[in-house]
Amino acid sequence: MLSGIDYFIVIAYIVGIMLLGFYFRRYIATSEDYFLGGRSLPFWAIGMSIVVSDIGAMDFVGVSGQAYRYGISVGNFDWIGSVPAMLLAAFIFIPYFWRGGMYTIPEYLGRRYNRHVRTIASLTWIIFFAVDLGVLFWASAVLLNVLMGWPVWLSIMLTASVVGLYTYFGGITAVVMTDVVQLIIMFVGGLTLTFLGFHAVGGWEGMVDKISTMGPEYKSHFDLIQPSDTKTPFPWTGILFGLTFVMANAYMIGNQTIVQRCLTAKNEWHAKASMIFASGLKMLVPILVLFPGLMAIILHPGLEDGDQALPMMIKSILPPGLVGLMFSAFFAGLMSSVDSLLNSTATLFTKDIYEPFIKKGATDKHYLKVGKMTTLVLLVIGVATSPISGKYPGIYVAIQTFLSYFQGPLFAILLLGIFWKRTTQWGGLSGLIIGIGFATVLNTFKSAFFTIEDPFLYVSWWSFVVGFIITIAVSLFTSPHPEKRLEGLVFRATGKKNRTS
Amino acid sequence: MLNFDWLAGISQESAKLIFLVMFVLIGVLILFIPNDYIFQGVEKKNRRWWNNLKLWAIAVLSLLFLTYYVF
Repeated sequence: MLSGIDYFIVIAYIVGIMLLGFYFRRYIATSEDYFLGGRSLPFWAIGMSIVVSDIGAMDFVGVSGQAYRYGISVGNFDWIGSVPAMLLAAFIFIPYFWRGGMYTIPEYLGRRYNRHVRTIASLTWIIFFAVDLGVLFWASAVLLNVLMGWPVWLSIMLTASVVGLYTYFGGITAVVMTDVVQLIIMFVGGLTLTFLGFHAVGGWEGMVDKISTMGPEYKSHFDLIQPSDTKTPFPWTGILFGLTFVMANAYMIGNQTIVQRCLTAKNEWHAKASMIFASGLKMLVPILVLFPGLMAIILHPGLEDGDQALPMMIKSILPPGLVGLMFSAFFAGLMSSVDSLLNSTATLFTKDIYEPFIKKGATDKHYLKVGKMTTLVLLVIGVATSPISGKYPGIYVAIQTFLSYFQGPLFAILLLGIFWKRTTQWGGLSGLIIGIGFATVLNTFKSAFFTIEDPFLYVSWWSFVVGFIITIAVSLFTSPHPEKRLEGLVFRATGKKNRTS
Repeated sequence: MLNFDWLAGISQESAKLIFLVMFVLIGVLILFIPNDYIFQGVEKKNRRWWNNLKLWAIAVLSLLFLTYYVF
């Protein structure tokens, strides 16, 4: 599928990214440099990094495939499923995290509640990220094998070497700055495909006209809002309650890989601006990943597997050279996801587990070394465990479902923690544990509770509700925290800010 | 109950209206945020209209509103 010029572009991209990332090793002197970029990064770089970390190689194919099957309703995830949450994060949560000089979200939970909450939240994320790393390596390498014919182990080793090198030496600064280039590559590749695709299908109006006349199964392909009894996985009730109110907020506010970037900002304005800038870029993402799936309905009708839509579009639309650019975009998606997981997991382990439990009060140099070693160990674990995914094909979906186990309860305690002074440490701990337990029960017996096949949006919502109610109930029966302890941790609570610019 | 059957009577058009009203509400709430909080981190003498994050947020929300209004 690739010509000589395409190979040249892909290889030039990989080498270029490695050199760029490696360059940033010179800025690493302390653990703050390694984990928070010395709190010196500008909003535009952070904003671009947030967006690109969120789009993996799998998403390109997966979202196009879903657009092929269900239409534009899959765009809800990037539009209503991101923008309002990002604005809430920018104006309410991020300023408090940034002012508090936090490294991790569990660190906030530890200060607001207690160290049990911090440890549970941190361990949950560490386990999720570590398992996800191996799954991501394997799934993406298989994808690249199908698309480019590259051996699976070549893709894994190549990605691990390049990403490992710059993440180990350059920390989050290297991660963010390489993400900037990766986003540009992704946008140029994706927009080129969309532009040429539109040309092939007769423009937007041509595409809508042709798809609308293809049969009754396509009549709601251009409806963002699907009825509550839709056969698609995106009923409007799930989109509003599960996605918009819970999963999106939990992801944008409670996910370490996203929030850690904002904490690298040079001041509070840049921290807020990075998230709002990212929300603007998010509005454009469906143009890259969703529209090609719609165009494939016309150009390649009757595909048995919707996930074939994007590869078929690349094959039929892009000329040599641009195919290489598009595959560089796939690599960019994979690399940006892997580097985010590595750096964020290293931060969580070093700050939330190693520092408080294994070696308290060591020198900063020691923690820097631990962060770097954790990055390396994680990389080895990710590569070594990746073949397990090949043996269990359902593991990718299982990992994603696992997110819905704890996102709801986690967001419940974050929300109450920042907005309600009366929330207590035991309220937060109970809400988190019982909420996760409730989500596990709902997921395990989902056929007994839900009528749709994949009810992860509903599970998120109901586990949030349970976590929310339990936190309030237990808080009301336990002693409130003294005002002084809440300074800088609760919205509009009195007290001096820890950091000002 | 868990499947939101109790909302089955709401039409797609009404659901769309709920989404649109929510965007407007978010926009109005953003407008109420004090300017000092918005500009925190920018020195007073350097505060310009393009640094006003409320305008950035309203611009993105307008795009979102338009997208859901059209589709």
